[in-house]
Amino acid sequence: MSAASEPASPSPGAASLDDVLVGEAILGVYRQMFAALARDSGAVVDDPEMVDVAETLLAAFADAGEDGLGHEQMRHVCRRYPAEVFENRLRVLKGLGAIREVFPKPGQLRYRASFTSVVGLMFVRRMMLDGGQSEMHRLLALEQLNVTDPRMTGEQAAGGAEGLARAFRLWSVELVTLTNATIEELREQAPKLWGSEEIIQRAERLHGAILRRWPELDRTCTELRAAIYAYGDASRRAAARLTDSAGTTRNLTLLPPETWRTFARTASRERLAAVLDGFVFDAAAPWHEPAAIVTAVEEGPRTTAPRPAPPRRSLPDGGLSQDVSAADAGAVERLRAVAEQVLRGGDRVAVHDLLSETGDWPASRRLFADLSSAHLHPELPYRLAWSAELRPRPGDAPSWLSHGHFERIPG
Amino acid sequence: MSVDPGVLARARVRVLGPVPIGPADPAPAGLTRAVEPSGRVWLLPAWPDGATPALLEEYQTAPPSMDRPGQARRVFAAALRCCWTDLDTAPWPGRTAAIAAALEVYTCMGRGDADLMRRWGLGDLRRLADSGWLLLDETAGTVRLGPRTAAWPADALSSLRDLLRRLPQPPEQAGAAR
Repeated sequence: MSAASEPASPSPGAASLDDVLVGEAILGVYRQMFAALARDSGAVVDDPEMVDVAETLLAAFADAGEDGLGHEQMRHVCRRYPAEVFENRLRVLKGLGAIREVFPKPGQLRYRASFTSVVGLMFVRRMMLDGGQSEMHRLLALEQLNVTDPRMTGEQAAGGAEGLARAFRLWSVELVTLTNATIEELREQAPKLWGSEEIIQRAERLHGAILRRWPELDRTCTELRAAIYAYGDASRRAAARLTDSAGTTRNLTLLPPETWRTFARTASRERLAAVLDGFVFDAAAPWHEPAAIVTAVEEGPRTTAPRPAPPRRSLPDGGLSQDVSAADAGAVERLRAVAEQVLRGGDRVAVHDLLSETGDWPASRRLFADLSSAHLHPELPYRLAWSAELRPRPGDAPSWLSHGHFERIPG
Repeated sequence: MSVDPGVLARARVRVLGPVPIGPADPAPAGLTRAVEPSGRVWLLPAWPDGATPALLEEYQTAPPSMDRPGQARRVFAAALRCCWTDLDTAPWPGRTAAIAAALEVYTCMGRGDADLMRRWGLGDLRRLADSGWLLLDETAGTVRLGPRTAAWPADALSSLRDLLRRLPQPPEQAGAAR
């Protein structure tokens, strides 16, 4: 977070007392700067509220002026926070030098706040608000100013360029990691990608300015250039992945399909149903026609081989119609009348005589058909009995006659 | 805004399927009552001229779609075999049968893994109950015909009767008849 903002730390090989003093002074500045963020003297806060306590205190000190504040006043200012939290914060802030006695002597009850801590907190707040990117903009702008400053030395410029190159390297590593991470994470971090073109342009301008003024720094500038390009590549790739996932809508606020799937799998029945609140469903229920049920059963898989069913209408069969039997009765009566007329009250009549009496073939054919029907009908007591005799009659109609008798069946 | 109660009742029947009403409530226009022996009364949609939704087919209009209609109807036939025991009368209201018996008939009707068929069959029984063709009481393990079967026209039932005579006997009934 603060890789680019920290000055280079003192060399660890320092041996003289002066060096130790210098190192201690720098450490003191560090401590005051980040006192607001310290949970205890050894670690960073794990609750944002703790930072709020520090900020409230520092604001109160600014209002109090040169007199400073006493312990009771400080407690009053921080009355919103629990007592133990306040005491803890006060102890840490005092330990790190952010709040110190007005005069360094025992029994001192009035305190003043360190100017460095406020600046540090401002920086921290700014970083919280708009992230490392806008800080990069500020740093680049400051560095640009420095480069044009006539008092600037080549060494300082090289240090600045190295710091920027390191920041860009770390930044692009972070972006590459994001590009390979889940799309949700990438979406969350997307603001880091915005405006990267402008940063690259600024960095390139700065790089050009340094190189023009101190041509001997070409090695450092090459490093910086490579870091800038690496950052540009990484940010372009991450942006491409982001737009790919957004699909054709280009709407980054739409939920990704994974989120929908997770919701559908994990939501309770009520939450799922709530999605459709306010919709009216008007789906008619399926209809099962009896004939459709029959068809479905007959087409279903069977235990035995299917037997071919006789062809059957799927519509109901009305059975025999009424007038069929009525017509049948009429036909029987007519046959009986014809037979009685032919027999003329007797029991037996010769067929060949009957047929030769009629004279023409159509009439004798009709009569013969009626007699045959009477013979074949099971309910009528008449029969045709044939003999072996056959008489040809050339020129007459019928042209031949076989001899037989139409007779009443006795009984 | 006042809505004609008849229109409201028709809309409710269309969305919810057959709805139970009080025994004394009149049936609005376009709806008929199907009375159970227990006295419960259901409202059913009634179509003019004795037509049924099967008429849609004649006009080549797609009927309401359903998943695996063949299987659902085979399960329905099995349930009918158990509940509609007196084939000379109308199917509704029929008699109460055990779900297990209906599933047994269904597994005997086709071939395949009996356990799997029973599970699929139970799902289809539930879907049929959802649309009012069956009344399912899963805690008691019983199934009855739904009020919708009362809407079948009487003259369309002969082929269904023939079919049900050919289906395998429900197990408990076979035991009771002997």
